[in-house]
Amino acid sequence: MTSIPLGHILLLAALLFGIGLAGVLTRRNILVMLMSVEVMMNAVNLTLVGFSRYNGWTEGHVLAFFIIAVAAAEAAVGLAMVLAVFRLKQTTYVDELRLLKR
Amino acid sequence: MLMLPELIIVATGFILLVLDLFLTEKQRDLLVPLALAGIAAALGALWLTPDHGVLLGGRFAMDPLAWWFKLTFLIAAFVTVMLTSGLLESAAPEPRKLHSPGEFLTILLFNLTGMLLLASTRDLITLYVALELATIPLFLLAAWRRDALGGEAGLKYMVIGALASALMLYGFGVLYGVTGTMRLDAMPALLHADRTTLYAAALIVAGVGFKLTLVPFHMWAPEVYQGAPPPVTAWLSVASKAAGLSVLMLVLFRVFRPFLHDVSFAIAVLATVTMTIGNLVAIVQRNILRFMAFSAISQAGYLLLGFLAGGSVGAAAMVFYLLVYAVTNLSVFAVIILHNQQTGSTELTDYRGLSQLNPLLALALMFGLFGLGGIPPLAGFVGKFLLFSVAAQAGYHWLVGVAAVNSTVSLYYYLRLVRQMYIEAPAEGAVPLKPGWMLSAGLAVTTAASMLLGVVPTVYESVRASAAAWLQSLGQ
Repeated sequence: MTSIPLGHILLLAALLFGIGLAGVLTRRNILVMLMSVEVMMNAVNLTLVGFSRYNGWTEGHVLAFFIIAVAAAEAAVGLAMVLAVFRLKQTTYVDELRLLKR
Repeated sequence: MLMLPELIIVATGFILLVLDLFLTEKQRDLLVPLALAGIAAALGALWLTPDHGVLLGGRFAMDPLAWWFKLTFLIAAFVTVMLTSGLLESAAPEPRKLHSPGEFLTILLFNLTGMLLLASTRDLITLYVALELATIPLFLLAAWRRDALGGEAGLKYMVIGALASALMLYGFGVLYGVTGTMRLDAMPALLHADRTTLYAAALIVAGVGFKLTLVPFHMWAPEVYQGAPPPVTAWLSVASKAAGLSVLMLVLFRVFRPFLHDVSFAIAVLATVTMTIGNLVAIVQRNILRFMAFSAISQAGYLLLGFLAGGSVGAAAMVFYLLVYAVTNLSVFAVIILHNQQTGSTELTDYRGLSQLNPLLALALMFGLFGLGGIPPLAGFVGKFLLFSVAAQAGYHWLVGVAAVNSTVSLYYYLRLVRQMYIEAPAEGAVPLKPGWMLSAGLAVTTAASMLLGVVPTVYESVRASAAAWLQSLGQ
């Protein structure tokens, strides 16, 4: 079985991480921002699993599972708050939430 | 036995959660004393906990400094619950009342559990899970009043917090890839002084920087401090900062210790920028919560000075200053919470004439602000003095100068508030504030502590001894 070289996996993960970071920093829709953070988290998972698989380690897989579980909790909290804000303001764009200035 | 304080807090959290189901609105007033009893029991358990030992195959360990962190977290939680009591009770004034006291306290206690665990973690997995437990509940607490302001604060906090943990996780991933282990203590021997190590360190410090509100990662702080209910802001400004410091100490002292000396200039720059920006922007603030946010940012800058010397002196100075900062900041917030609870205002100018309406409260607030500014003989002065002397010992004399100038600048804006209280006349029709006994007790205890910690040398001496023992346990 030919396996994918570690370098390729890490490069893909780094690219995904960059895409996610750019998304969080440039997008203004809160849902897209949350999605971008998920992409970053999954880039980390890919890194961890890539390292673990390539080297025959196990702990990386374990951390990846914990990251998935915690990211789900984070998303639950986040979406609940998006919903609460949407009920009040009818928007998911952060630019339109501008009460907190001075 | 080693994990007893954490277990007591978790158990109290669950008891409150279940009990909440069976109580009427009026009976829920009992939940606050119950939470306080739980935290007090955990404090007692912590007192009996040995300051050495490991559990779970070395993933959970007590060390002398973790003990002090846990003490800070528990005291902060105890005082926060005392200060929140007036807003949680069924008779609280309506628009500012915090609903569902059972759930509020449960989430606060789970949050506290995360912080307590955080101080004892010894590998990346437990560190990550504990850190998230110390973070995610804060988003909920910040958005507790489901109004537009709170919702916005919670959302912004959540996006930034998730971004920070993603950055830190990527750092963990790189670190794991280089060393092949999750154990923090095994890492220094496996790391080399190369670009990859620096990359991992930078990512992790950036992630922690959000928690610790280091400039340039501080942008969320003023927004969240302003939008969250004031008791949550008090908790956030003390406990979240302590949690950030405890992670930074774990990472910098346990993992990157061999390279700490090489990056000390970067730390000095980070400290300079953080304290300067925090202080300069605080001057122009008109909202007291934003004002406290920038004050907290500048305090984080002072705290960083402790990392300049890798030894136990720096660690001791940071832990001591953290303890002092916690009690002093909570005493300031006690008055802010009460003022907001009864007037609904967060404007600086609405504190005018407080000394004529409530002489004692104004006096306590003045002592608290002087403590944060670092006026002798208050504890804030001693704490700052110790941190500055660490920087001086490490050879950063210019930084001591910068920090001293910054302290002077900070006095200017702290005195702005004192001037409102003591020189301006009270507004027409202003009525004296009526503190509840629990808030008064919390304020009295924290104010007394913020004075005594500076005068009584025993506390610093024992922190110092703990730091020395801790350094030995690191094997250096």
